[in-house]
Amino acid sequence: MPGGVPRPPEPMGQLETPTIVEPDIDETADLARPWVVVVWNDPVNLMSYVVYVLQKLFGYSREKATQLMLDVHHKGKAAVSSGNREQAETDVSRLHAHGLWATMQRD
Amino acid sequence: MPRHPFRRNRSGGFDVVLEAGEAAVLTRLCEELTTLLSASGGDDAPDPVLERLFPRAYLDPTEEEAESDWQRLVHDDLVDGRRKALATVEGTLAGAKVKRARFELTLDDEQAQDWLAVINDARLALGTRLQVTEDLDFSDLDGDDPDNAPYAVYWWLGMLEERLIEVLSG
Repeated sequence: MPGGVPRPPEPMGQLETPTIVEPDIDETADLARPWVVVVWNDPVNLMSYVVYVLQKLFGYSREKATQLMLDVHHKGKAAVSSGNREQAETDVSRLHAHGLWATMQRD
Repeated sequence: MPRHPFRRNRSGGFDVVLEAGEAAVLTRLCEELTTLLSASGGDDAPDPVLERLFPRAYLDPTEEEAESDWQRLVHDDLVDGRRKALATVEGTLAGAKVKRARFELTLDDEQAQDWLAVINDARLALGTRLQVTEDLDFSDLDGDDPDNAPYAVYWWLGMLEERLIEVLSG
């Protein structure tokens, strides 16, 4: 350690004080909280069909798709994807097009 | 049902073989679904089958506006997609070769997806009408009772769909 009189630690540098803009609370909440897409159990759809559709639409492995299907079957529902509102709406549309009953909700 | 109603062929497509009676039922189901899709969503009492085929995206009652916006955006496309799939099934059945009371036809990948969609939609429609429950036991039903014919069709559609999914997943 070099000699000399020890000095108190200095801050790394003067940071510029940022301009504070009050965020719109709703907008911030919308961006921060993702949407979750839920598939609901129904008495008609075949288990094999639900697995097939989850693999087809989301690229899930057979194992993951099967686990999600079993959750739907035993728990009544399962979250199959999440994203912003637009992404969730798209996923819901695709699931509906395949006859699955899906809805979306805030996480 | 033939032993293998669906089979992958050497060209990467699918060979389909159905009994003439099965082809007739499938054609009739397509016609019924097409008629159903044409039903106006007017002020009549909501049809539970249409409600099942075109459900809500939002359950939260505070999202009514988002629900309406989304329906306005996607509903027509969802109807068109179903219409297109029905047209595929009807068209491929109409073009089938009939050999010894069996209908033989070939499907490419996209047509096979349309067949899966239509068979599944037919199950949804029939299942909703019959108010089936998950534990419906077909072995209890008297197959000779004509009132049970719709249940027999529903059961047959399930068997057909399982076979198609097996082949598509294979």
